Amino acid sequence: MFRSSGSKTFPMAHEDLIHDVKYDFHGKRMASCSSDHSVKIWDCDEEDQWNCTAAWKAHSGSVWRVTWCHPEFGQVIATCSFDRTAAIWEELLGEQSREGKQSHWVRRTSLVDSRTSVTDVKFAPRHLGLLLATCSADCVVRIYEAHDVMNLSQWSLQHEIQCGLSCSCLAWNPSMFRSHLPMIAVGSDDPSPTAGGKVHIYEYSDANRKWRKVEIISMVTDSVHDLAFAPNFGKSYHILAVASKDLSLFSIKPIGNLGKEPVSAGAISKFDMHRIAEFTEHDSKVWRVSWNVFGTVLCSSGDDGCVRLWKANYMGSWKCIEVMRGNGKRSEQQLEPKTTIVTASNNQNIRLPPPGIMNIKRNSGWPSFSTNADKGKLYY
Amino acid sequence: MLGSYPKGAYASAKNVEGCPDGKLQAIWGLGNQLFAFSGSTPDTRSKGRPAENRVSSDICDVRWNTEMHTFITRKLVNETHNVFVMLQGQVASSTGSNLQSQMVMSSKQYRAILKACSMELMHMAETCEDSDERESCEDQLQIFEMIQLIWGFCQILFIEVTPDGLLLNQLLDWIKWHFTDGKRLAVDILHDEVPAEHPAYWEAIFRLLLQGEVDSVRKLLSLNNSNQNEAFLSVDELLRKMPQWAHYHHALSAAEFDMKWRHWRDECQRRLEEGHYAAFPNLETLVMVLCGDENVFTEMKDMCGSWYHLLVSKMLYQNPTVRAPDLHYHAEACMEEFSLSGTRIGELDNILLAAIQFDIHQVIKDSSAFLSTGSWWFVSHFTDLLHHCGQLDTQNLAYGSNLREFLLLEYASSLMSHKSLWQVGIDYLDYCSVFGRTYITQFINHMSLDNEKKAHKLLHICEERNMQEEVQTICKVMGMKSLRRGKLGAALSWFLRSRDVTATSKLTERLIMEYSKTGQFEYTDILDNLGPAMFLSNRLTFLVKYREFHKLYESGETNKAASLLLSLLEARLAPRTFWITLFKDATPLLESEKVIFNSGQTYVLMHCLEELRHELDAKTDISQKLTDMEKDKLDLLQLCLTRNLSKAIKAEGTVKTS
Repeated sequence: MFRSSGSKTFPMAHEDLIHDVKYDFHGKRMASCSSDHSVKIWDCDEEDQWNCTAAWKAHSGSVWRVTWCHPEFGQVIATCSFDRTAAIWEELLGEQSREGKQSHWVRRTSLVDSRTSVTDVKFAPRHLGLLLATCSADCVVRIYEAHDVMNLSQWSLQHEIQCGLSCSCLAWNPSMFRSHLPMIAVGSDDPSPTAGGKVHIYEYSDANRKWRKVEIISMVTDSVHDLAFAPNFGKSYHILAVASKDLSLFSIKPIGNLGKEPVSAGAISKFDMHRIAEFTEHDSKVWRVSWNVFGTVLCSSGDDGCVRLWKANYMGSWKCIEVMRGNGKRSEQQLEPKTTIVTASNNQNIRLPPPGIMNIKRNSGWPSFSTNADKGKLYY
Repeated sequence: MLGSYPKGAYASAKNVEGCPDGKLQAIWGLGNQLFAFSGSTPDTRSKGRPAENRVSSDICDVRWNTEMHTFITRKLVNETHNVFVMLQGQVASSTGSNLQSQMVMSSKQYRAILKACSMELMHMAETCEDSDERESCEDQLQIFEMIQLIWGFCQILFIEVTPDGLLLNQLLDWIKWHFTDGKRLAVDILHDEVPAEHPAYWEAIFRLLLQGEVDSVRKLLSLNNSNQNEAFLSVDELLRKMPQWAHYHHALSAAEFDMKWRHWRDECQRRLEEGHYAAFPNLETLVMVLCGDENVFTEMKDMCGSWYHLLVSKMLYQNPTVRAPDLHYHAEACMEEFSLSGTRIGELDNILLAAIQFDIHQVIKDSSAFLSTGSWWFVSHFTDLLHHCGQLDTQNLAYGSNLREFLLLEYASSLMSHKSLWQVGIDYLDYCSVFGRTYITQFINHMSLDNEKKAHKLLHICEERNMQEEVQTICKVMGMKSLRRGKLGAALSWFLRSRDVTATSKLTERLIMEYSKTGQFEYTDILDNLGPAMFLSNRLTFLVKYREFHKLYESGETNKAASLLLSLLEARLAPRTFWITLFKDATPLLESEKVIFNSGQTYVLMHCLEELRHELDAKTDISQKLTDMEKDKLDLLQLCLTRNLSKAIKAEGTVKTS
């Protein structure tokens, strides 16, 4: 019964680098995309096994990112690619999907406005409606809207935001509070430090029906690879994680309209922004950041090949609580604990890991959590 | 056994079939789920495809904090959940000493449940065949043992505080509970054929003596061959006369007890100095313990096994009226005793020391770091208890929550990933006044709606907490699910419940279309029982009314049917494409021998027909949807209407004259 707590591995069978993997809203489905131009959908069955239920060639270039739509709009994903397009895919209704385990996905639309590689694609938080934001290397963020949520083949380009810098990633602020205006953070991979701050923050003003730049994070001058807002639970500030040369956390606090109606028409919102943490532990570029559902643990991955988990204690100070390594070697001598009475009978029985294990080293952080020990099983 | 440290406390390795390539990346899933894979991030600077090196693209599904998901620990979660909920209720309703005794009771209940759980784990570890499984049982067991030790100690210091501030009795009970070697030895010896010859005979006596088990010591001594010797009788008398708190039931004041005790110790001292026991070195040592001789304790520290045992034993014979605030002076000396002999001071020791120093925050902090490997069970419940005891200064966090809530939130969210324990988590969140509600919202939103039963369960939870928005979302998602599976009836009822006008209208149109194709009504049970819900969407109102028309028609109430049909057309509720069908339905009524539509109604019908024709001529997209045959039917209908009109005028005239 302890086995259930283990972790399992399954082959993705993509023929090239995987660029992105995303869970759906409920954590029961997963989509992966790769340089082999394809997208795969994975479903978790009753026995907790992941099975590939769909795979198709989605683009004619590397597929950079994949993202899930809220399930109230159906089973929908969006992808973006080097082939200069973004696409919306919907799982087919009805009989086909019920027969057998394979599902069928159809392209509902192709968004072809970009003239360069589309680098990121994200659906807006559900309460804003069915909106999709893309960003591309041609320095433009585009916001699309589906007018009829029952018919996903019609999307109209609502806004084009000129960022002035080649965009690499974007993130919606997921805050559900009415007093927070819709917000997007955009990161740029422009390598020149003289080009200024590489994270731009835009806010939508209802009065002008326009997206406006409200903030540039000038502290980040190196190219940015990923961004993520932490889910906001009614805190007075937003937390944005930025993956760049190193990992930074920024708190962005709206000034002046706390708990009140959104700022009056025409006025640009002001923010009190500061860096709450900066981590160089990866010692190299940080590629990706991802928050857990409650925004309490951040995971980052970097060029050093490690995945690190970060958590704030109750005083708000952030620390690394876990490191995962994928190099297949035990990187550190494990401290063997003293023999204890309970284990005295079999203390010779030190488990040797199978070759090719992943090490998770636990650092002393507080408060922290850790993994359960040694439950690896091969499932294929 | 308790002085040592659990495996995994410093470095826990998870054997995961990892990615051979160094570039490990990870994405959060739901709750404790994490996907690790090797890959790269889009590099828009590179020209298209990255280098052609093919990387093995395996994915690891890594799960965290699953300790509370096992068969045995689940019981712990469920049972302590009841205690927790009850305690919160009592905090709200009772005050003062009543509340105080409730706290102590809750604390004891928590510990009892934990103890039961430990026993089960122990049993499992003994019977388990699989070595991996056994090992994780044992790891868990050790953590639980330590939690019990800390909890028992803190209960004495912070929760079950005696009015006079004396705590030796409780400390002795604590030590007796956790260090049972002496008792076990004694049992062995008593079962031996010649007890006094048993190699551990004296060890057992000393161990028991150090725990203040005077009666057992006397019993063991009485088994000695020389028990009638004067020295033995003298020791027995000393032991018998030893003043013990338990015997006085706090009837004495501390000062009175202290006096009695000093008197007794002087007597021990005197007899020792007079050399009563010189012939029996073991007895001499024993009396030296009674006298509280410093050196003899140093010799015996190995029998104590830990500094805190030593501390309690020393206090018993050196300073029985010690009060909690003074304890830490003595503790330091005892710790030194052990560290001199090379014993490492570990986390557990530090936690206990922090407790002795009344540094509760440090206790919680260290316990969080050290014992929450896998679960926040201990710190969250323990902190909640301390919070209600008023032992925690309600230090508010930057964003308005406190330590208790912080830990409860952690615990509750660690339960979220389990397929049944999440319901327990929700109850904990209910008692988090600041963030509980938003957490529940987030919880619910991410809960997978595997089946109707689960959806209803979630709906119930939302409705209990008046979370309208979440109710609507769940219904919408369920509606979309049913729709995808082609269960239109179910989808309709879900959409209605979510009050989603757009989706309802779209779905109704589909139902109407299906009717035009087949001429058969489906989902009649839903349509016939909608009630006021049908007004959600015009389309739906139409469909329900139209269905009513058919029922009236079938039951022969043609007049009512006719006027209903007419009002449907008149109110323009029906989609234009459906008007043809409505006219078709009108035809038999027009053709019947009785006059059903009077002249006025006929005019209205004719007007509608004209309107339809007009639109067809205007070549709107409706006209493309109509076949030629249907257009011909319109001509036929025109004829019917005229004939009916004449019939009606005639009949109306006739009525007037008669």
